[in-house]
Amino acid sequence: MKMKTKIVAYGSLLAVTLGAGISSCTNLDEEVYSEVLASSFKPTERDLPYILAPIYAPFRGSMLGWHGYFDLQEESADAVVTPVRPNGWDDGGTYRRMHQHNWTSEQSQPNNAWGMAFSSISRCNMTIMQIEDGTLTLPEDVAAAALVELRAVRALAYYFLLDNHGNVPIVTDYRDDSLPEQNTRQEVYDFILSELATVLPDLTEEVSPNTYGRMTKWAARALLAKIYLNAEVYTGTPQWDKVIEEADIIIGSELFALDANYSDVFTYTNQNSGEIIFAVPYDEIYGQGASLHMKTLDPLSRLVYGMSAGPWGGNCAVPQFIDTYDPDDTRLQDTWIQGPQYHASTGEEVINYVKEVSEIARDGGVPSNAGFRVGKYKIKQGATNNLDNDFPLFRYGDVLMMKAEALLRKGDANGAAALVTEVRQRAFKDNPEKAAVTGADLLKGSTYQYGWQNPDGTVDEVNGGADIKFGRFLDELGWEFAAEARRRQDLIRFGVFQTKSWFNHRPHAQAQTRTLFPIPFAELSKNPKLEPNPGY
Amino acid sequence: MKKLSIYLFLLGMLGAHLGFAQQSTTLRGKVLDETGVPIAGASLSLQGTQTATATDESGNFTIQYTSPAVLVVTALGFVGEDVNLSNQTTLTIRLLANEETLEEVVVVGYGTQRRGEVTSAISSVKAEDFTKGTVRDAAQLIQGKVAGMRITTPSGDPTGSTQINLRGLNSINGSQNPLVLIDGVPGDIATVAPEDIESVDVLKDGSAAAIYGTRATGGVLLITTRKNRSSESKTSIEYNGYANVQTIQRRPDMMDASDFRRLISEGYEYTDYGGNTNWLDQVLQTPVSHNHNLTFFGGNSRTNFTGSLNYRNWEGIMLTTGQERLNVRAALNHDMFDGKLRTNIQVINQTSKSNQGGTGGYIWRQAMIRNPTDNIYNEDGGWQERNDYAYDNPLGLIHESINDRIFRESRFSGSVDYRPIGDLSLKMLISRVINNDLTGNSTTFDHVNTTKNNLNGTASRSTGANTEDLLELTANYNKSFGDHRFTLLGGYSYQYNVGESFEVYNFDFPTDEYTYNRLESGTALQRGLATMESEKDMWKLAGFFGRVNYSWKDRYMLTASIRREGSSAFGANYQWGTFPGVSAAWNVANEEFMQPVAFVSEFKLRGGFGVTGTIANNPYQSQTSYNFNTSQGAYINGKWVPGFVPARNFNPDLRWEKKEEWNVGLDFGFMKNRVTGSLDYYVRNVKDLLYNFPVPTPPYLFGNMMLNAGEMQNSGFEVLVNVRAVETKTVKWNTNVTFSTNKNKLVNLSNEQFNVTREFFDAGHTGEPIQISTHRVAVGGPIGQYFVYKSVGLDENGGWLVESREGEVISMEDATPEDRQYYGNGIPKFNVGWNNTVNIQNFDVSVNFRGAFGHQVLNMQSLYYDNPVNRSYNVLKTAFDPIDGKELRNSLVYVSHYIEDADYLKIDNVTLGYTFKPNSIKGISNLRIYFSGLNLHTFTGYRGIDPEAVSYSGDFTFAPGMDHRDKYPSTRTYTLGLNVTF
Repeated sequence: MKMKTKIVAYGSLLAVTLGAGISSCTNLDEEVYSEVLASSFKPTERDLPYILAPIYAPFRGSMLGWHGYFDLQEESADAVVTPVRPNGWDDGGTYRRMHQHNWTSEQSQPNNAWGMAFSSISRCNMTIMQIEDGTLTLPEDVAAAALVELRAVRALAYYFLLDNHGNVPIVTDYRDDSLPEQNTRQEVYDFILSELATVLPDLTEEVSPNTYGRMTKWAARALLAKIYLNAEVYTGTPQWDKVIEEADIIIGSELFALDANYSDVFTYTNQNSGEIIFAVPYDEIYGQGASLHMKTLDPLSRLVYGMSAGPWGGNCAVPQFIDTYDPDDTRLQDTWIQGPQYHASTGEEVINYVKEVSEIARDGGVPSNAGFRVGKYKIKQGATNNLDNDFPLFRYGDVLMMKAEALLRKGDANGAAALVTEVRQRAFKDNPEKAAVTGADLLKGSTYQYGWQNPDGTVDEVNGGADIKFGRFLDELGWEFAAEARRRQDLIRFGVFQTKSWFNHRPHAQAQTRTLFPIPFAELSKNPKLEPNPGY
Repeated sequence: MKKLSIYLFLLGMLGAHLGFAQQSTTLRGKVLDETGVPIAGASLSLQGTQTATATDESGNFTIQYTSPAVLVVTALGFVGEDVNLSNQTTLTIRLLANEETLEEVVVVGYGTQRRGEVTSAISSVKAEDFTKGTVRDAAQLIQGKVAGMRITTPSGDPTGSTQINLRGLNSINGSQNPLVLIDGVPGDIATVAPEDIESVDVLKDGSAAAIYGTRATGGVLLITTRKNRSSESKTSIEYNGYANVQTIQRRPDMMDASDFRRLISEGYEYTDYGGNTNWLDQVLQTPVSHNHNLTFFGGNSRTNFTGSLNYRNWEGIMLTTGQERLNVRAALNHDMFDGKLRTNIQVINQTSKSNQGGTGGYIWRQAMIRNPTDNIYNEDGGWQERNDYAYDNPLGLIHESINDRIFRESRFSGSVDYRPIGDLSLKMLISRVINNDLTGNSTTFDHVNTTKNNLNGTASRSTGANTEDLLELTANYNKSFGDHRFTLLGGYSYQYNVGESFEVYNFDFPTDEYTYNRLESGTALQRGLATMESEKDMWKLAGFFGRVNYSWKDRYMLTASIRREGSSAFGANYQWGTFPGVSAAWNVANEEFMQPVAFVSEFKLRGGFGVTGTIANNPYQSQTSYNFNTSQGAYINGKWVPGFVPARNFNPDLRWEKKEEWNVGLDFGFMKNRVTGSLDYYVRNVKDLLYNFPVPTPPYLFGNMMLNAGEMQNSGFEVLVNVRAVETKTVKWNTNVTFSTNKNKLVNLSNEQFNVTREFFDAGHTGEPIQISTHRVAVGGPIGQYFVYKSVGLDENGGWLVESREGEVISMEDATPEDRQYYGNGIPKFNVGWNNTVNIQNFDVSVNFRGAFGHQVLNMQSLYYDNPVNRSYNVLKTAFDPIDGKELRNSLVYVSHYIEDADYLKIDNVTLGYTFKPNSIKGISNLRIYFSGLNLHTFTGYRGIDPEAVSYSGDFTFAPGMDHRDKYPSTRTYTLGLNVTF
């Protein structure tokens, strides 16, 4: 009897446990701890900054980042090269391919640019959808302002694609997840212009910390000027008058001016620059990603800047480009780190950067001190592996130079010369007479000694620069905008990219096709509606 | 300690219970075999009396005795037992099958089965066949002994573990690891000490593993811990201890100072710093390790316990590496109500601690590349540092860093097995496994973090905690009538896991005295440069399962099982999956017509089909969720804000990956089972592969999306042959051979949603500074192919010449990524194991060989150090050996020259033991001493350290065969050990 009771007791215990188990036995709900569920997040105006931030973030991720936009625009051009260093740095030949235009559809630098642009575009589309369908509840005026900003940022992202990849799909509806159709470069060009025309009247005119780093009316106009400046490359039809028109509106606003010192535009406090129209802001703590100094400096330069990270020792200036500078041009010093470098505290010389770089892929690598280094973005003492300097994408100096180029190409060389002189003045403070250029000067060719550089520094197969139409103006662009992630665009517009040799680069067998980068192989294989760009 | 007091309490209770004494008692009992099947006709007698009886058909018996008495139980085919009786009125006796009858018991999912009734591919390795000597973990016990299961040791790291691969690669994003169950509770191969294991059973094919559903694609490893098998009140204590030393398996022959000076005199631009340091000598040590294991058995027929203590203190060959570990296990079994209710409580506790200084892969690299003319110390007595890129004094890194880690795990499990009637068992198993991991890292002011990078001391702490609960309810019903035998199983399983982690890092300290113990004193926190991370996640898994076994006259056997299982990690519509398994066998040897053929004792043909599943490695893959992410932030309205971004491309349709497996096999035994073995052939088709599929951007936000896409196939053949080659009174020789092949193919990678077929994916990476992927997995091709520039020689300048895609010889300078081609494969075509044990009187010898053939290994040591162009780094002496009569003068590139044939045969383990005569020392019933060598010799043409020590897990699952440049070098181990039973 007693035993029976026990069995019953145990039995019921078992049954209770069993029952408890079974009541939850098919419950497979996930409890989410470290992510925010869409179903539990109801964004409002207060959340708008968090929602807008991701549309700008891809630009920061790429501009001065690893295999980013800087590398794409500069290493394919005639001023910057990454030679093999003693510690390696061949990296599968990627820098050689950039230099020699042998990139393929698997080259990471152009593919990263695609990723940067479309990441921003898709996020813009997603947020536009959320505003339109009410997921994101905003007051009407806030919603309207956000929508024009989103469309302007999307247009900016499409500008990068227009310039680099040309024939890309135009995608505007986030709901549509079908495979996008490819558009022509002309269609992309038309799309950007029509978008900007639509949003321009409603974009903010405010120039303040609130709008710093964001698409304002002025940033949009600078973008328009830039697109018109290259319209002939993009569409075959030049738009010089429109360049002047946009530039004049910006100049007429009197909201921007040339900084007194050239280096102020690029220093680590350049958020205060009066010249910047649109920057991609960086911060060593909050907005990380600018690692250009890490790539360019030799490890020893760590001692010069008291850095808390050891740089990698990679890219440097092409000697032939350095040779074009007037030695009195202070931009030579402001742009390139050169000569002996001294220990921050002991004052000892730690490395001496020389101009000479023997070749791109020498046995054992070129010496670690070979080549001037990119110093335009001033490196502060105690720098970490993230620069604090903002990257100026559009600046007032550029607006003046765009207008000058348009004037020059329209035949007003003297008008152009006046603007060029204005820009040059701060670079020749000690030699003001050298600042002045004349219209006749600008009609000359380039002083760049284009040709193949031998390891001993001599140049063979010289095809010079004298024959370049407005070559002197191209030189002016080089001096003013060196290392601003744009040399490729300028070289293409002046026909140099396709025709000249420099350092260890010769014109590619299909040079004209190299003015566009290939549609990434990965995207071609994912979307059968995409066709490769011509020549790839 | 909590568990110990519970255990002592229960022990106390037991003592009290045993205190009573009475006279003349009727004992009613039952005799069962190990699987719970009643034994009919067992004879029972009281020692020293005429009283005797036998069991009936159901195994029941009744006998009168006067307490105290000794009951002697014998049965044909079973090991006899003596049971001390004192007052009990009921008794259940379990007899172990006599080995020679080969009624061996095999552990299968949720129960055991007699070997003869097994219908699927299951390998069972018992303690006597385990690898002897220094054994890292459970997997190493059975290394080379299970056909089709490749077990390798990827490095000599004393804290590392073995890697296991069963029947090829079967998942891209899911785990390749087998499900490891320790007495039914999920764990891993290091959960219990190898000395504490009684048997390891491996469910290899799908029909056997299907009962475990989604966790079983990598196979199931069932670890049974040692238990007190004695049903008499006997206490025994066993001690096993050993000590070992290790040496590096093959020492890289780097250039020394004299080589440097000779080269400098020949005009090479090396730097002579005036010193003479052998950097490898400086970072290597001769490690002495020891290991102690104590096992206690005690109790009586109703209550017994097993306790074990295992302490190991292992050192590694690299300076400061090692681990101290303590494993404690206590198991208590108690029978109540005439054996109707059987309970078990088990506690396993593990604590491992390592204080590793700064040693790691980066140190090995620094020791390899450091200039041998350089000094360890500078003139001020500090570490001699240089400013080259990624070039630090390895000794400074080792001695100026602290890397401490403590890992603790406690496993509590309890089971209640209720048998209301003889044939039915209702069982509940509950377990909770709690572990936590605590690390502390810091660097001093003399570390390069400060001397070079001005960080003024760095320190971090991290911790992780994981809790996993399991509830399993099973009902098992056994019935025999006539020649028919049935087993029915039904059950339910629920698993719940929560993981949490936290990590903080700070630097810029006023002193380095605090190490990691006062993180708040660093000012990087105030400067915004300290980092902090925390995370928590969970998953649930629930399953219902059932199985039926049927056998007729031990000739025809059928097993069918099904599991319906649901995981929280999948989309709401796809949480549940069904995993059936069915297998059948025909033992021809038991047919009447075979009786005249005495030569054949077993000839069992088997065939089976089963489905198992795989879950994505991470939970939440199907969730529509967002995160605030500072890396996606921007400067908005005059301040930096984080970006609010989707966590992934949303895919609420994510579902199971399914593996369907066919297996046919043969188990045989000839000459009274002197020769036994099995053959198996399998085909595995993995469908709905979980793959981080590339999706077009636009329109998607991310370039990849976790999808079910594609299909993979594995097939292979496995052989196991066991021969008791010599069996005399004084000499016994057991030899055993395993052989396996595996063929693997990625059938397709496509997803109908995108109507896109992916042709290949790349895997593996050379690392810096070559920076290129190493492998390509192409649809229609095997996994493991290298994708590389095929080198054909050197040009007159010493630059590589490679074959272009058109087959022309071109300079490496002109090669583009399209010129890469498939070259060799890192997965062996076949694996062989050969294990021998010889007993000659009191001596025992075991010799194990293991080999793998038909594959290539990427020798990364050679890739990086057989190239002399970088004068800042030291290289191998062979770097200047001419290739095609020319000196290599090409910057580091990934070419096929470094992919070497890597066939090998290892003399893996040789053990020589001597067992003293029982009781030759008073109080010691058994005493054995042994000497053992592990990883003794490798026959191979491969030039790197160890052709077997390549990783094929984690990031390198699809890049097998990479002998990593910076890995912890493999070692050879010599062990002296002692086994004592008191």
